[in-house]
Amino acid sequence: MGDCQSLGDCDDNRIVRLYEYLDGALSLKDLSDVKEHLEHCAECTEEYDLECIIRSVVRRSCQEIAPDTLKSKIISRISEIQVEIGHA
Amino acid sequence: MGVLTANSPAPSEASLRVDLAVMTEHMQGTDTVPVADETEAQRRERFERDALQYVDQLYSAAMRMARNPSDAEDLVQEAYTKAYSAFHQYKPGTNLKAWLYRILTNTYINLYRKRQREPLRTGTDTIEDWQMAKSAEHTPSGLRSAEVEALDHLPDSDVKNALQSIAEEFRLAVYFVDVEGFPYKDAADILGVPIGTVMSRLHRGRKQLRELLADYAQERGINTASKTKGAPKPGAEKK
Repeated sequence: MGDCQSLGDCDDNRIVRLYEYLDGALSLKDLSDVKEHLEHCAECTEEYDLECIIRSVVRRSCQEIAPDTLKSKIISRISEIQVEIGHA
Repeated sequence: MGVLTANSPAPSEASLRVDLAVMTEHMQGTDTVPVADETEAQRRERFERDALQYVDQLYSAAMRMARNPSDAEDLVQEAYTKAYSAFHQYKPGTNLKAWLYRILTNTYINLYRKRQREPLRTGTDTIEDWQMAKSAEHTPSGLRSAEVEALDHLPDSDVKNALQSIAEEFRLAVYFVDVEGFPYKDAADILGVPIGTVMSRLHRGRKQLRELLADYAQERGINTASKTKGAPKPGAEKK
């Protein structure tokens, strides 16, 4: 059990701060507070690791490769527009 | 989807930020012709060079919106068409990817969501609600180590299903911040809502997603715990 006072006095604040830390949404001062806190609080580190796993799993799963034909379809649509704009 | 992952490894938070910085620099560095003096051909060349590199990323986002490959493809094509028509309004040096995502999101809202006749909002994403949700919940992970292990190895299909089953506005907030790594401000611009709304949606979306993923992981954890480690038996696969 770590002392989580520096991250807020309840679980929810602690988690919100960890999220903001991961989101890059903290001020420099808060950032170093959280970073330092993570070094010696096992509970927060576990929570942090779990959130990192979740994000990396979600990121990994969401990567798609567009069909080969999509780019060429876009390019040909653009050529049509270019003609239209040319006359505008 | 192992191939996809191998071809384009998930960027870390840090590398995403670096990418944006590099992108901005790159764009400022190569824009030798002032936009106002550009010929049509130059503008088109600039568009193809700078904007078309995001096709896969826009398509990935579109898949989280449109739910099937054919609609996603249409959506991306439509978004690029609009983007090209409006490219003179794009300010070089600003975040092109965010600009494209905003057009994609608008296109989606105008083109597809109308058809689906889904309610525009759930009416639950005010900041007050978010604060209440914050104080009402305690979110210990509740996952045993076997489940965390299973979570880490969840098949893409499980994760996509989990994402698809959370409300759209929550899903998109989670997508733009957690997957694409946009700061709250950019996500707010893309979604056309205030920052507070993004944070509220994120908070709820992450919570729902985490619960769903924990369920999947629990199933997988139990499925694999009784057997030797490996693929779950056929039939245990989630559709």
